[in-house]
Amino acid sequence: MSRHVKPHRWADAYAGKIDDAQRAEMDRHAASCTSCARVRARVGSASDSYGTIRTQPAPELPWDSVRARVHWAVSKEKRAQSQPPRRRVPNLAWAALTATAAGALALVTGSGAPRATPPPIAEAPRPVIAPPARPEPLAPPPAALAGLVVRTSGTTSGGDVMIDGVHPPDLFARHLGAGTVIATGDGSVDVQFGDASAFALGPRSTLELRRFDAELIELVVNGSIDLEVAPRLPGQRFVVIAGEHTVEVRGTRFRVDRVPSATTIECRHGLVAVRDRSSSQIEVGTARGVHLKPGVAITADLVVPLSVAELASLIETDPVRVPIWNLDALITGSAPLEIATVGRRDVRVDGIELGSAPLRVRVMAGRHTVEAADSKGRYRRAGWIDVGAPTEGVKPARLEVPSEPPRTAGIAERRRQLRAGIDQASLKRCTRSIAKAGLTGTYVQVELAVDATGAVGFLNVIDTDLPSATASCVREVLADVAFGAGAPATWREKLDL
Amino acid sequence: MLGPVKRETGSSAALGPADEADLIARCRADDRGAHDEFYHRFRRSIAGNLYRVLGDRTDLDDLVQEVFVIAFRGLERFRGDARLSTWLYRICVNVALGRIRTRKRRPPAFGVNDLDSAAADPSLVERPETPDRTLERRQDQARVYRALETLAPKKRIVLYLHEIEGLDLKEIAYLVDSNPVTVRTRLFYARREFYRVIAGEDAAVLDDKADKDGES
Repeated sequence: MSRHVKPHRWADAYAGKIDDAQRAEMDRHAASCTSCARVRARVGSASDSYGTIRTQPAPELPWDSVRARVHWAVSKEKRAQSQPPRRRVPNLAWAALTATAAGALALVTGSGAPRATPPPIAEAPRPVIAPPARPEPLAPPPAALAGLVVRTSGTTSGGDVMIDGVHPPDLFARHLGAGTVIATGDGSVDVQFGDASAFALGPRSTLELRRFDAELIELVVNGSIDLEVAPRLPGQRFVVIAGEHTVEVRGTRFRVDRVPSATTIECRHGLVAVRDRSSSQIEVGTARGVHLKPGVAITADLVVPLSVAELASLIETDPVRVPIWNLDALITGSAPLEIATVGRRDVRVDGIELGSAPLRVRVMAGRHTVEAADSKGRYRRAGWIDVGAPTEGVKPARLEVPSEPPRTAGIAERRRQLRAGIDQASLKRCTRSIAKAGLTGTYVQVELAVDATGAVGFLNVIDTDLPSATASCVREVLADVAFGAGAPATWREKLDL
Repeated sequence: MLGPVKRETGSSAALGPADEADLIARCRADDRGAHDEFYHRFRRSIAGNLYRVLGDRTDLDDLVQEVFVIAFRGLERFRGDARLSTWLYRICVNVALGRIRTRKRRPPAFGVNDLDSAAADPSLVERPETPDRTLERRQDQARVYRALETLAPKKRIVLYLHEIEGLDLKEIAYLVDSNPVTVRTRLFYARREFYRVIAGEDAAVLDDKADKDGES
């Protein structure tokens, strides 16, 4: 073959799209042509890299944050769709102008009322000018309220809470006022807005502070919200809108959980009035709840007493409040404290139970003692930490709670179950590539916890000499092991591969 | 119904048609749990697809978000004429195409790509290889993406899907919302341009010689 080979023909050859005879001829030419030989090498190495590119794994991303943003964007659209379209206000100025012009035209042309005889020439009637109406004194607008974030839980960084569609870096320094939209990802956020008023917005929920002033607080919720509201003053209203249902309160602790298929209202104490679009109203009193489906008329017989478990759940989700509510003092004198734990641990700060960590909580500047509950529910001192006054750009104080020492009961049985339950074929698939490369005698050490029902609480690779991809493959195989009911156990296991 | 594209799409590969239909129905009913399941099931495959098409991870989280928002918005109109994973791959391709067009107007701030960084590719340590070989392979990948950057966006997508992903014309036509004949034409020119860039300065030398000797 005397002619040069086009570069894409080499790609065809590498892809096996050229028959052997032609390929041999191309190779013969390349043997005598340095340019073609170089092109063949370059195209060949590019073609070889396709396989590597094709198997590139997805990089790690802030998945919770992305999820929260998706949730926020989608729910914002749905909220916009569900709101009634704005009614166009008739342009009164135009109407008045048109009427005046028509009147003037009627005066000039004399059209309008039929006339029998031509009118005598006379003075044009003087327009009667009414004295200007004295404007009513405008009532001063009600004082605006502001809320402050006091806790984020489910995540240490608070990174999956969005305010008006963005992750504010200064979440704890934000004043939340009317018009604010709060959205959560996998965690929850607690907001206080008065001495004894606060709410906790649950995971994957959205809340719009439609009105937020001394006269009316109107919240529109999609998802779950727990509220604790101080008794309202006369003339003050507090309304939560959940789809077609409106919940109005005077002073109470209650929860509204709204999903498209139903709205649930549970009241721990106090009294809430629930209305639907037809203005039917029922009252839900202390330790009672109601489950409402859209389009179904609300009646008093839907109100049922809450079970002990439901009441306990309400107590657990009490919003956190700081004891003294002074907005300016809190902004300048308090700062977030981040408590990081391995797995979920109940924590106390200065003796006050704050629920399940990891979390961030607002504390006053100064020294604070942190305790964490062990597996038996006993609080043990985790350490103390100095929290400084909030400074822009400075990371919040962080205390890492040391992990609990592994439990010893039931380990032998659980270890036997683990060894017996491993899918050896899958395990071999994980290590096939390194075995082919001649790497043997590898190991992986994991720490895992299994509860009494056999559910795996956590499974972490704590040491290994395997490549990370292989180690995660092995971890997935171990995660598939099914444990039966038995003694709860936490232990470390070293597997030789 | 167009079957799934050849690429495995992570955990979504385990989802049967019945489960898929159930998941879509629950998502359409605005079930939060279903939205979460949908997100967790497809997030890695979507991120991986975008990452490989674009060759860099700049703003990848924003693009993943865009794909999911489009998907959740469009689920109402999803007719089921393709597998869910294929439909999502189609959205990825369109989002990536939009991204490439924007990037053409505003060149990336940080090099061509970071696809070949070791941190981004844990599988690289799977095969023990010499540092020289690792470097060579990274350079090859970088050269491929640099050559892709020189192509027009539509040609680039078609070439990527055909040469690297190994999809056939019919599958590519579905993904880029075109017809197979157009795809074939686009691919024809894209391959010539792409491999000329890969060949480097020798391509010009060969062209000159070919002009004198006659085309091979």
